[in-house]
Amino acid sequence: MQNPTKEISESEMIQIQIVPQRILNPETSEKLLTEIYNCGNIRRVLIQGSRIPAVVGYGPGKGQKVQHHLKKTLNIGGQEVEINVTLSKLYVEVYNKETADKIKEKCENVLPFPFEYYEGVFFKKHSTVVDYAKMGPDADDLLIGMSDPKASVDNIKFIEQKKSDNNC
Amino acid sequence: MAYKPQYYPGTTSVAENRRKQMGHNLEKLREISDEDLTAILGHRAPGSDYPSTHPPLAEMEEPACPVRELVEPTPGAKAGDRIRYVQFVDSMYNSPSVPYVRSYYAAINFRGVDPGTLSGRQIVEARERDMELIAKDQLETSMSCPSRSHIRGATVHGHSIRLQEDGVMFDMLDRTKKDGDVIIMDKNQVAIPLDRKVSLGKPMSDEELEKRTTIYRVDNVPYRTDSETIEWVHRVFQQRTQYGFKPGVEKSQ
Repeated sequence: MQNPTKEISESEMIQIQIVPQRILNPETSEKLLTEIYNCGNIRRVLIQGSRIPAVVGYGPGKGQKVQHHLKKTLNIGGQEVEINVTLSKLYVEVYNKETADKIKEKCENVLPFPFEYYEGVFFKKHSTVVDYAKMGPDADDLLIGMSDPKASVDNIKFIEQKKSDNNC
Repeated sequence: MAYKPQYYPGTTSVAENRRKQMGHNLEKLREISDEDLTAILGHRAPGSDYPSTHPPLAEMEEPACPVRELVEPTPGAKAGDRIRYVQFVDSMYNSPSVPYVRSYYAAINFRGVDPGTLSGRQIVEARERDMELIAKDQLETSMSCPSRSHIRGATVHGHSIRLQEDGVMFDMLDRTKKDGDVIIMDKNQVAIPLDRKVSLGKPMSDEELEKRTTIYRVDNVPYRTDSETIEWVHRVFQQRTQYGFKPGVEKSQ
């Protein structure tokens, strides 16, 4: 998540969804997220994918360490980010159409296989009862829709936007 | 002319592949040693004897029974083996087999088996040495591709999830992975680490999988293009609805 560079109303923002045809390796994930980060003018990024557990959850092997080859710490914009899911779907909220087009171009360059690209409304617009219970009455708009109902808001990572990167 | 059963209707490659698998007309593509198979199944230590749940039938005083005299017990039943399972997961991305076909294959070609069919996985329970025979047969032949068909005992998901970048079906517990040109397992089917890497062989190419698959897919062989299968499925549904599968009722009315 990055700080807004200027005051823009929500109606002007663009939300995009990127669905790669395959589950991304950590190397490709890191490359794609870094390219998107470098575009600047990004408000929020949401990653969805299959969960990679740290230990086996049930069965005779319960408690054994998994050490999945797809689970690695990613370096995005100089910050170490540990993700607990594979990168299978990506939602990005950006401040203008140029940035959205630039992200699409980056995906074409980085992803070695086809992907689907959509523009629409993908983040929740209003706070729900669950959001109220989790974050109280004065929750930050940026946090709404950023985590699953049962998940903790601690899963949200804040990545500072470098001023020199806002060149999109 | 001797009667030759036809197990599945249809004129497409998918129908033909289903007939081949149900009729046990399989091609052996790879070799997996007994020790490796025992290791990945994880029911007993490789090289150890089969634990038994009762004495061998020859040592038991069985009651006089015409059915027992008529039916030859399977090797596992004869030795008194435990009942154990093997479970296969098949990716929906052109996996060579599908759960229903695996169940037909087990029920038609083997005795003393209890196949269970689910949407993305298929389990066979049988006496341990009989089960190992079935598992080995499926792993070594054209019924399996190491990248799209996996053995998984617990956390059996992945069949409907997109493939990994290397074309291997996703496994949350990382039991099966690509190592160079081949697919290996370094954990058994319930994700307990092994002391060795078991090679399952080279994965099939996408083109080969499209030829060998038993899944109807819009981007390969669509179900609607197989008019003979559609005709028979309609016939079965119509007769089930109208006559409750009672043969002869249709003719007499």
